[in-house]
Amino acid sequence: MTTDARRRPGIERALAVLAIVGGVLAVIAGSPARPTRGSVDVTELARIVEHEEDHVTAMELARWIRDDRPRLRVLDIRADSEFADFHIPAATRVPLAEIARMPLDSAATYVLYSEGGTHAAQGWFLLRARGMTHVFFLRGGLYEWLEQVMNPRVASTTPRAQRDSIRALTLWFGGKMTVVDSASATTTPSVLDGELSAPHKSDTRETIRKIRRRAC
Amino acid sequence: MMGGAPFYEFGRFGEGTSLVIAVLLGIAFGWFLEQGGMGNARKLSGQFYFTDLSVLKLMFSAIVTAMLGLFWLSWAGLLDLSRVYVPETFIAPQIVGGLVFGVGFATGGLCPGTSCVAAATGRKDGLALIAGMLAGVFVFGEAFPAIDRFADSTARGAWTLPQALGLSQGTVVGILVAVALGAFAGAEWLERRAEHPARPMKLAA
Repeated sequence: MTTDARRRPGIERALAVLAIVGGVLAVIAGSPARPTRGSVDVTELARIVEHEEDHVTAMELARWIRDDRPRLRVLDIRADSEFADFHIPAATRVPLAEIARMPLDSAATYVLYSEGGTHAAQGWFLLRARGMTHVFFLRGGLYEWLEQVMNPRVASTTPRAQRDSIRALTLWFGGKMTVVDSASATTTPSVLDGELSAPHKSDTRETIRKIRRRAC
Repeated sequence: MMGGAPFYEFGRFGEGTSLVIAVLLGIAFGWFLEQGGMGNARKLSGQFYFTDLSVLKLMFSAIVTAMLGLFWLSWAGLLDLSRVYVPETFIAPQIVGGLVFGVGFATGGLCPGTSCVAAATGRKDGLALIAGMLAGVFVFGEAFPAIDRFADSTARGAWTLPQALGLSQGTVVGILVAVALGAFAGAEWLERRAEHPARPMKLAA
């Protein structure tokens, strides 16, 4: 109530003046955002890269998404139109520049992917420099996802249990697993074994078109 | 320069320490709410009859204090604003939630925080409201599978006023300070009107 005996008009006025000064100066100051500077432990990063702890495979990521891994953030850093064409379920599109300044959740697990793997790896570095510890990228990019999760080719010699687990995961994402002769399965170039280091854009487009035709 | 606060985010202390600090801050928060009379449902209800606008003034004081503190600490490079958690916005579910909250607040005279304060001082209405709150949490949790699509709808992510209005953070800070001071003046005026029944006010009838 206004008539509260404990009120001190002098202090109230001083606080009001302080707020006005702070507010007016804030308008002049504009934005408090300074250039975002991060720092990295270079030795630590080198160790992580060396031990290949910096990326996930498409299958691992698929399991994380299906099993609803807590605080998983999948970031797609391709162009808007490409994202609209096709993206990994649960992914959000974030331009690389945005990664440098977006608000982050240090308890989250970030997974980045791009068309191939390069941009995602660069994004990985940015997030590490901003102090995030649970950061991974899809080494083979979207191409790996399409090849390993949406259209896996599994050799007929693969143990039944393993085949069923891959089939279940693929079906969960609306893909289709193909069983092939062990010979042709091993000769199919895979982005993972390095035979196909730079996936061509047209390949991704073609695969996306195929998935679309299946109307999933 | 960067890298002071938030201390927890930068690993200055661990989970255990942060919980101890949270408990201390929580006790201080409750103590000051009680000191401000916020454990009293009658006082809080005055807000809905325009006779006692303490809640409005308390909220605006807290907002302006925290806002100016965050802004200037960030400006001085002592705090990384991008590491401060921003709750996510879900427009439609939050409008519905806000209405439910408002009905509960106006009916019981206490909000979740103040009901804990009221219960801590032994007020029975506070205890009843906490029981109601827990029951509500339980019902919501059980009903969640049926409403999760709605609960996740109209998502805007971590959406802030500077983003929504397309203004700089400083301008929004300035505007909010002006709005708060205006609200203070308006609240005091309403309270003075309510204290003098010689000039009856239609709204407070």
